[in-house]
Amino acid sequence: MQKGVFDDFVREVMQSREFVAPVKGDQTKEVQESFFTDIKDPSQIEIGQLTYFPIKYYFFAKKEVLFSFHKNRIEEPEIDIPERVFFGLRLCDLNSIKHQDTVFLNNGFRADPYYQARREHSLLIGMHCKKGDDHCFCQSIGLKDFYDLMFFDKDEHTYGIDVGSEKGKAFVDEFRRFFEEKEEGYITPEDKVTINTFKLDTTNIKNLWDNEVWSSLSEKCTACAACNNLCPNCHCFTVEDEVEVGDVTKGQRVRKPAACLVKGFTRVAGDHVFRDDLVGRFRHRIFHQLEFFRDRYGETMCTGCGRCIRGCPAKIDWVTGINTAARKQRGGQE
Amino acid sequence: MAGKEKPENGKLKVGFYNVTGCAGCLLSVIYTEGDFLEFSQQVDIVSFPFIKEKNDDEQELDVAFIEGVVVTKADEETVKKIRERSKMVVALGACAHLGNIPALAKMKKSEDLEYLKYKKEDFNMDREGGPAPLHTLIKIDYTLPGCPPDRDEIRQFMKYLLLGKTFRNYNDPVCVECKLRNNGCLLDQGKICLGPIIAGGCKAVCPSGGLKCYGCRGFVQGIDKEFDGYFRIMEDKGFSLDDVKRALETFMAIDAHKVLDEKFAQYQLNRKAREESYE
Repeated sequence: MQKGVFDDFVREVMQSREFVAPVKGDQTKEVQESFFTDIKDPSQIEIGQLTYFPIKYYFFAKKEVLFSFHKNRIEEPEIDIPERVFFGLRLCDLNSIKHQDTVFLNNGFRADPYYQARREHSLLIGMHCKKGDDHCFCQSIGLKDFYDLMFFDKDEHTYGIDVGSEKGKAFVDEFRRFFEEKEEGYITPEDKVTINTFKLDTTNIKNLWDNEVWSSLSEKCTACAACNNLCPNCHCFTVEDEVEVGDVTKGQRVRKPAACLVKGFTRVAGDHVFRDDLVGRFRHRIFHQLEFFRDRYGETMCTGCGRCIRGCPAKIDWVTGINTAARKQRGGQE
Repeated sequence: MAGKEKPENGKLKVGFYNVTGCAGCLLSVIYTEGDFLEFSQQVDIVSFPFIKEKNDDEQELDVAFIEGVVVTKADEETVKKIRERSKMVVALGACAHLGNIPALAKMKKSEDLEYLKYKKEDFNMDREGGPAPLHTLIKIDYTLPGCPPDRDEIRQFMKYLLLGKTFRNYNDPVCVECKLRNNGCLLDQGKICLGPIIAGGCKAVCPSGGLKCYGCRGFVQGIDKEFDGYFRIMEDKGFSLDDVKRALETFMAIDAHKVLDEKFAQYQLNRKAREESYE
């Protein structure tokens, strides 16, 4: 695609679909930091920087009505999701969607219909990122190609586009006039490289469970759960019944995100709290991201976007913490 | 437990009272709008002087909501009498819960505040001990915190009352709801936002409007190490314990000093122990 026709392309897509892309935040507005939203004009798009807020809430809603009830009658909601094109996702964002798919679609005997509806009406267009900033470390994780279409900044005038799925192909066919056919191998392995200066040492994490690094890292932690809420992968939720004051037999069952850093997360009947200790909760989050998820699904959950470090009020750099601890455990050998 | 007191037949008898306060919390109750009307049909509102002409102030109550802080001797008598004839007492709002702004009087000598006092007979502000939140004088069964309390939480409480369920306050820090409302972090902007140690449930209304959290809803219950983290962040940003106290004084003049002194001492001990263990 020629860069010159990009704006026209966006405008044309917007005629039939919501076009969701990263935009800048505004301290005086409802969203204060950069985020994804359905844009009204191509000039809003801001792809230079990783967004502060994750993409996940488009699929894993902040409040999802599972069903409404009245006495013993249950009614499932009609899920009406507009057709959406997501643009400007980085490979870390895309992989986080892949991981959410693992949890909500391919986990157990049936897919989650609410999540599924949101995913089915989406088309994922990536934007390759050549160089990470001070907090991202996706190279250390090893992300997979997962997209319908991926844009690469080929040169001054051209976007190279890789088609990653049937859905992506059908989309290209629909908007044929903006795209040019290229030979196989047009997108080279060099195009796909992302350079990180920040790295995570993943070789020895399993052995760090009893390490003192967790208490030193969580020294500054206030359990505010910004890391949970900004993480594109965190998918834990809680389910509540909301009844009506006028008739308490009538109401809705809703699903909301839950954060494992706060104490109430592991509180059970009888007021027992399983992970009472903040250090344990902190460690659990990192281990779920790097170990437990992989043990179960074969992939590291963390996608190395670094939002948890950028968004942390204390800027707790657990990556460097782990690197140092791992090095120490090996006796200081590199 | 809410509702255990629910009578076999008939409706719950409910009263809404106010001692020294601005009546904003009672307004919040009314601001639940349609839901308050629904609620008033399902229970028997025996007394609500703020909006009702005829009130019965002798009857036994199932639930009494009290707004405000005890300042005068008459206030003290009022709340004690309400307690005596009520099965359940709910502290409504930050004044009843923590002492709120009137409790700032405790930071000054009584003589220095003489010029502010009403000079009126039968209005004795010289109650011993100064302004007092309800729990220091009577037993409180439930608290609806906040200045003013969040109307959704009041709604929730009404529902639980009608369902006969135990009500639990929202006990996650303000930050949780704050992030879900798409806010950046005021701590990053160098403000002494109290969000991480203050219980949410307010939907982070202040940070969403660009104001730091002043802590009107009281501390998150049952946290300990979290304070260490908070002090550490403050220290790294160059704020002292006094700065934090001052930020908290507005709504928690009574607890700010006592609790923070205790937690800060603990923080210093923990920190020292940790540093020694590293050596």
